[in-house]
Amino acid sequence: MTKNVTIFTTNTCAYCQMVKKYLGAKGVGYEEVNLDEHPDRQAEAMRLSGTMTVPVTVVTKQDETQEVIIGYNLARLAPAVAA
Amino acid sequence: MNQTEVPKYDLVVVGAGPAGLTAAIYTTREDIKTLVFERGVVGGLAAVTDKIDNYPGFPDGVAGLKLADDLRLQAERFGTEIELGEVTAIADEGTYKRLSTTSGDILSKAVLVATGSDYKKIGVPGEQEYYARGVHYCATCDGAFYRDKRLVVIGGGNSAFQETIFLTRYASHIDLLVRSTIKASDVLQKEMETYIKAAKVTVHTNTATEKIVGNANGVTEVLARQADKSLSFKTDGVFVFVGLTPNSQFLKNTLVRLDSIGFILTDDHMQTTMPGIFAAGDVRSGATMQIASAAGEGATAALKIREYLEGRPLPIQDEA
Repeated sequence: MTKNVTIFTTNTCAYCQMVKKYLGAKGVGYEEVNLDEHPDRQAEAMRLSGTMTVPVTVVTKQDETQEVIIGYNLARLAPAVAA
Repeated sequence: MNQTEVPKYDLVVVGAGPAGLTAAIYTTREDIKTLVFERGVVGGLAAVTDKIDNYPGFPDGVAGLKLADDLRLQAERFGTEIELGEVTAIADEGTYKRLSTTSGDILSKAVLVATGSDYKKIGVPGEQEYYARGVHYCATCDGAFYRDKRLVVIGGGNSAFQETIFLTRYASHIDLLVRSTIKASDVLQKEMETYIKAAKVTVHTNTATEKIVGNANGVTEVLARQADKSLSFKTDGVFVFVGLTPNSQFLKNTLVRLDSIGFILTDDHMQTTMPGIFAAGDVRSGATMQIASAAGEGATAALKIREYLEGRPLPIQDEA
């Protein structure tokens, strides 16, 4: 079961909008970290994903395990938030 | 899923970029039951473009994301359904085409392929290795990671110039490497002069990228060649905009003919060599790769698809 979802985004990122739209359509709540507004959290996004790209979606399960999904990747995002 | 459960449509549009969404606006407005499939971003490459200055009706230009969202809203207002997923194959079953998708099979009387194109890779050492860790293809997505850092942008066309200008809001300096001569429009070249004069951008023509070099922390330099000179550009990241490659791989085992690069051949009616399958926008051979043209082709395709659905088969012309 999903405990919480965090998405790292930027203002101009279209793929970020797609992730947010998908989660919204599925009724999955999420916290958004906008890196344009919070550049101090860039390092956190890079540490979690190992990349310098957005969106980065972090799905935390009830047992505190995390799944990190880079980009708009429905094949990984859909099952990650469905469980 | 058995045969009776397979959803049926008059038209399935593959790709929700400007061509696909424009077609859907036309068809749904005429009560042609239309489903649009999108595997990536609604709006396509237009959505990931910072600013679009040459689409008619926007005197001050329009953000790509805004244009994409408005196109979507307009299509949905008339009843277009947009499904997020991928079409992986198309088979002809007579009246209906069967589309294999990531959401299951779908039957449709007509199909419009408007899958557009993606940015090409340059194919040099280091490009794949540092993908998303210093090598990028989307400035609006990843530019924010380069505040006050040095960048290299590779490309000499409109996209390279437009995205370089966008990246100046973050980067301390950008080296723009142009393999041959500049292909960007005069307007963009003139706009770029402002940034060149401000020492934010240096343009290097006839400069071929040879290697992207880095370490565990990411990219550190780009090696290039200018005539017989070897050059090194110290950088924190690389953005690549060197042309487009068509998203037509899923048609390879169909009757749809592609040109030598993979763009779809059509006749003047936007009809492909497979009856009932149409193509429009950047994936079509001969497309001008302009958003306004894509929208126009989407409208043309919609009108021709209506004729096809009304039982007025369109003759396949020699050009296809």
